[in-house]
Amino acid sequence: MNHGSSRVHGTREQLTSLSATSLSCKAPSARSIGTSQAKPETVQKVSDIVREQLALSADTALTAESKFSALGADSLDPVEIVMALEEKFDISVEESDAQNITTIQETADLIEDLVQKKPAAQAS
Amino acid sequence: MLSSLIPLQLPSRMQTHLWYILPNEVNNKSLLKHYTQLLSQHEKDSISGMQSDELNKKNALLARTLVRTTLARYHTNNNDNTVVDPRALKFKKNLYGKPEVDWEVDDTTTNHPKLQFNISHTDSLIACGVTLNAPVGIDVEDKTRKMRHDVLSLAKRFYSSEEVKFLSSVEDTESQRKEFIKLWTLKEAYVKALGKGFSASPFNTFSIIRSDAETYNLCDQAGEWKFRLLELAASSHYAAICIEGEDGQEAMNVIVHKTIPFVEDELISI
Repeated sequence: MNHGSSRVHGTREQLTSLSATSLSCKAPSARSIGTSQAKPETVQKVSDIVREQLALSADTALTAESKFSALGADSLDPVEIVMALEEKFDISVEESDAQNITTIQETADLIEDLVQKKPAAQAS
Repeated sequence: MLSSLIPLQLPSRMQTHLWYILPNEVNNKSLLKHYTQLLSQHEKDSISGMQSDELNKKNALLARTLVRTTLARYHTNNNDNTVVDPRALKFKKNLYGKPEVDWEVDDTTTNHPKLQFNISHTDSLIACGVTLNAPVGIDVEDKTRKMRHDVLSLAKRFYSSEEVKFLSSVEDTESQRKEFIKLWTLKEAYVKALGKGFSASPFNTFSIIRSDAETYNLCDQAGEWKFRLLELAASSHYAAICIEGEDGQEAMNVIVHKTIPFVEDELISI
């Protein structure tokens, strides 16, 4: 079995321990995906892609807490959403993370985490 | 007046019982209200708290109803062989988040088959697979589901190289799309049967290969995982089932029923 993802998990753990000491008021997140809350504009961009992928009507309310399963997503939708986000943000998501996203917030946190890790010249 | 739940014979070893509901066949308001009364408080709160439209909420209700009533039917009271109350079932999650039944060890008034189950749903079909002592995973997909991305791009991104090679060899675009979906359901079913979450087995780390028209196998497998791929509901959906067998065991046997809990079961020949 391929354990190539362990290198990235090691990086995530380091980030988590850093934020735990510097942000003492924030409870550690139960999920390992994303280590901080994403900016509202990232949440908005993710929501737009989710809305398009799930073919939601304009009056379906989407919040950061919206769960894909509650929106009628099947198991293929999260990976299609991830592919669309990879194209839009020019990032690369770990395979295991791609299938573990369940809400808009989680997805936005993951995206922002990856965008921040990109070399400074590319991030904007 | 609703009939009471009819008891069921346990699955035998290497047998999966597959039960499915078609949500668009279940619209009777008093029946749906009856279903709501079977759920735990947590399940009821979870459904009413869903930021979702009524159809999705109904499907969530039907999914929980299907799981509770189906599992209850395999589980009878010792004194009179009636089916236990579906409300009495408790659920928990394994270390990786896979739902399981939480059997109460001290209860001597009922029998305790060690059933395992897994559910899957789309907008249009909700399914529950049940086995005795064998880890099981199922996944269902609408056969006509279109992908927004090119199928080969999705495969190259997520599937193994052997699977990409196979899909690339399928010339007709529509057949390629169908084979992609079939593989998707089989891969999902395997990871769900493993029960360790997607991180433990990313899709590009294993290959499922078709050896003849109906037989799928895991390449280089440790253990004896058996697969079946079915078409359900007038061939509108693919359903993949994966169970962990024993060395030397024959192929998996599947018994399929379409059901409306408390109303009717229909045995489906496959």
